[in-house]
Amino acid sequence: MSSSDPNKLISKADKLTKLSLTRWSADWKSATLLYEQAANAFRVAKDYEKAKLAFEKASTGQEMLSSPWDAAKHMENAAGLAKELRNWTEVIDFYRKASELYMQCDRPQPASDALAKGARAVEDTKPDDAIQLYTDACVILEDDGKEQMAFDLYRAAASVYVKLEKYTDAAAFLLRLGLAADKCNARNSQCKAYLSAIIVYLYAHDLKQAEKCYNDCYQIDAFLSSDQNRCASKLLAAYTEGDVEEIKRVAQSSTISNLDNVIIKLARKLPTGDVSASKEEEPLDLDENDLT
Amino acid sequence: MTVIDLITRVDAICKKYEKYDIDKQKDANVTGDDAFARLYGVFESEIDAAIQKSEAAATEKNRATAVAMNAEIRRTKARLYEELPKLQRLALKKVKGLSKEEIEARNDLVSSLKDRIEAIPDGSTVAAKQTAGGGGWATSTSYTGIKFDSTSDGRFESEYFQQTEESDRFRQEYEMRRMKQDEGLEVIAEGLDTLKNMAHDLNEELDRQVPLMDEIDEKVDRAATDLKSTNVRLKDTVNQLRSSRNFCFDIILLCIILGIAAYLYNVLK
Repeated sequence: MSSSDPNKLISKADKLTKLSLTRWSADWKSATLLYEQAANAFRVAKDYEKAKLAFEKASTGQEMLSSPWDAAKHMENAAGLAKELRNWTEVIDFYRKASELYMQCDRPQPASDALAKGARAVEDTKPDDAIQLYTDACVILEDDGKEQMAFDLYRAAASVYVKLEKYTDAAAFLLRLGLAADKCNARNSQCKAYLSAIIVYLYAHDLKQAEKCYNDCYQIDAFLSSDQNRCASKLLAAYTEGDVEEIKRVAQSSTISNLDNVIIKLARKLPTGDVSASKEEEPLDLDENDLT
Repeated sequence: MTVIDLITRVDAICKKYEKYDIDKQKDANVTGDDAFARLYGVFESEIDAAIQKSEAAATEKNRATAVAMNAEIRRTKARLYEELPKLQRLALKKVKGLSKEEIEARNDLVSSLKDRIEAIPDGSTVAAKQTAGGGGWATSTSYTGIKFDSTSDGRFESEYFQQTEESDRFRQEYEMRRMKQDEGLEVIAEGLDTLKNMAHDLNEELDRQVPLMDEIDEKVDRAATDLKSTNVRLKDTVNQLRSSRNFCFDIILLCIILGIAAYLYNVLK
């Protein structure tokens, strides 16, 4: 029965679902079954457009049968096919719908996974949407209390920001990663996140922000007693002294090589701009007649 | 208590409260308008307090309180340094009732005061020795290798050491070997850094997977109990189907049917 032409299957299923004089209620069960078969057949035949449509319809069918899990799975398949067709808006829509359906099943983990897959798919072509998807995925996980899974997402979002050259946003995301790591007691990731944020600020040649960031992080015990703290202080000291050689040497050190690839690339490109300009703060002259 | 104990105790108490006596004497001698003498008195008392604190810090067992005390001492020293120029200015001012030599003496007093402030031990010298042995943390900013007892090498330059050719060569070889050792240790240090990072990441990954494993455990347990109950029910059902009573019924009915068939056959024959 399934070896018949998938087009015929689709038309048969359509007929089952369309309401007319002879049919008072749609027969979703058999229709969904037919849709699934048709979709698989189309996929094998590499007819992605029709397969995508079939999966969409199968998903609606499953929704009608109140099994959101299967509906979400079909949506994901449809989104995968849309990716092959390079139809990015549809990809985003489908993954979002899939994520909502997963949330209906009360399963936040696959929901955020779906969003993350969507974000990864459109990273290169629609980075803003990708960032939105990553943020939503992180929010879902945080609400569920599973911040540990969110680390990778934060890192990916930060690297997308860096690609877009939005350095303050990237640093902010890294600090959020640090916060999430703090909640799970993941000290290593936390310290690496803070060091990465400082490096991003330095790359944007924002020495004041970098120092402020460093001072903030210094208050945190976990960061205070870590290798990354030493590295950061060496880097900032080298910056304030204007010692380019020292900066390059610190950037080659193993502590920085353990960070994310994107951050390593930034660190190797330090220092950006003129470093000696940061030495402009002259010590204030003491007024000899002022006895206070 | 022995007499010696009594004497030492009395001495200690007198020393402790001596300052009140001297203060009273000083106050009686110093006139109201001599600002220099007043300030100098304040300086002296602060220096004494700082020295006492440093002694207490040296004997303190708890590192944290020792560090806190040393920080206090350093702060006091910094404050005293700041007020020193004020004292110097007062020393130069002419005060009625004092001769020229006394004014000069005051200048000397001020400079000696500076040395005294510097001499107060604030724990930083002790810390420097310790950190030099361990290979400099925050203090050493230069990129040097790991140093063990590097301070002792300098002694070879003193004039008491006569250099012969042999000892020169020996010393050179020693230096070469030390450099090679340093390089080797560098390599090891880098490898250890990588290992440490990997170990930390592994740790975090495992922490991440622990709740997942717990969930799997729970689900598998539930599935196992379900299976067990299903098995029991199945066993009951199968037993019912194959029970001997049903067998007997089947056989009796079969016999009846055969009997009826035989009767019909007889009738029709």
